[in-house]
Amino acid sequence: MSARLRLSNVRKVYGEGSPDAYLAFDSISLDVAPSEFVAVVGPSGCGKSTLLRIAAGLAPASAGEVELDGRSVSGPPPGVVYLFQQYAKSLFPWRTVIDNVMFPLEAAPRSERRSLRERCSEYLKQVGLAGFENKYPWQLSGGMQQRVAIARALAAEPRVLLLDEPFSAVDALTRMELQSLVLDLWRENRFTAVLVTHDVEEAVFLADRVAVLSHRPTTLSEVIEVGLPRPRDHIATREDKRFLELRHHLMEALLGRLAPVAA
Amino acid sequence: MRDRLLPRLLGILSIVALLGAWEVASRTGALNPVLMPRPSLVGLTLWEILVGGEFLGPLGHTLLLFAVGYGLACLIGITLGLLMGASPVIYGLFEPLVELIRPLPKSALVPALFLFLGIGPATMVTVVVLAAVFPVLINTLQGVRGIDPVLLDTARTFQCSRTRTLLSVVLPAAMPMILAGMRVGLGLGLVLVILAEMLAGESGLGYLILDLQRSFQIREMYAWIAVLAAVGGTLAVIFDWMDKRVVPWRGRA
Repeated sequence: MSARLRLSNVRKVYGEGSPDAYLAFDSISLDVAPSEFVAVVGPSGCGKSTLLRIAAGLAPASAGEVELDGRSVSGPPPGVVYLFQQYAKSLFPWRTVIDNVMFPLEAAPRSERRSLRERCSEYLKQVGLAGFENKYPWQLSGGMQQRVAIARALAAEPRVLLLDEPFSAVDALTRMELQSLVLDLWRENRFTAVLVTHDVEEAVFLADRVAVLSHRPTTLSEVIEVGLPRPRDHIATREDKRFLELRHHLMEALLGRLAPVAA
Repeated sequence: MRDRLLPRLLGILSIVALLGAWEVASRTGALNPVLMPRPSLVGLTLWEILVGGEFLGPLGHTLLLFAVGYGLACLIGITLGLLMGASPVIYGLFEPLVELIRPLPKSALVPALFLFLGIGPATMVTVVVLAAVFPVLINTLQGVRGIDPVLLDTARTFQCSRTRTLLSVVLPAAMPMILAGMRVGLGLGLVLVILAEMLAGESGLGYLILDLQRSFQIREMYAWIAVLAAVGGTLAVIFDWMDKRVVPWRGRA
């Protein structure tokens, strides 16, 4: 199967051309198949978020190429939605919840607005926010704000959803709820998902494959098949022997105590 | 409730105390009762002005002039601020000009404006615009500059065009700052509208206050100053009320 999202030899140099330029990462190549869920883990400061921003067309690569369905990406392409870690800053505080979700659809003709609004209500229901349509984002809790951002992402009907540590700013229980929510939505909507995180358990719990970035100079050190059965459950999956093996291995990789692969 | 009521009562108390002291000083002759007539007499005159509806004409004149000048200042300040914030070319084009005129006390331009705009409404409006436009412009520019990049990236990932980003993302996101600039502009504009009326007016509160002073109707002069104070206070209250409704997320998002 051809790749939905393909990174070929992507390289990023921060402050290019200046004397204190430094190499963030180099030679990163990764193919993500349609409807696949790939997680990218790496130590903090390795440039994971930058890599995702390059994949989204939000930042230029210093070298290499990003392709979406075989077409080179130079700016944010339609069908790719980015879920930010700072969900609160990504929502529009002057818009109600439903109007935030409507945002990606406002290029549509006025005659369709009514049915689109109903669709957005439906997305809000899917993320568990039915009845919150007319609230403002700043009246909601952090977890609920990220749900609004997720509903807005769904409204854009993404082919690819890029998740940039989207659950790192919420409490542990809310994080698990949001993880399950994203898995459910991914299963129903069949979009391709790329998650960047430093939380190895989150990566293993959610993804089909986990790509591991090394310490600086950063490159892609390995890609691991998760192979855990779906649907995944926060209690059962996290007690699975395979889950613990993968967790062990990834922790070693991230903490810099690399052991032989026990795949 | 009591926590908020007490400071407010104390505030009223300080005003009452000042007026009381003035009243006593004027009665005993410690203050010249001709130059500083008793507040009770000024109050009586004020009452006559208000009841007779006499205040409506000059007040309307001043408010109209202010509304036109302030409205234009906001329109120009916000538009230019948005464009300067969004485009380096426009910024480069206007920044030196803005920095040249901005530090100038605008009242210094009044004699020059008389020369080519004449002594009349054109000069007065221009002075008000010049006074109020810069705080609005500078704040709009800073508001645009201070927008969180995440918000702009969000617009980009949803294929938002440049124009739509400017109008439906940048403008509302900069609104708290824009309103802060408009608040400063409001005060400055009011100062200059009164000054312009004193120098070039044929009616209005500023003209009237100066005219009463010249014809030595001191009590009336103070009464009209009180009307003017009420105008400033009312405008500030209206502005606060509007501010809360336009940017309810201020300080919360």
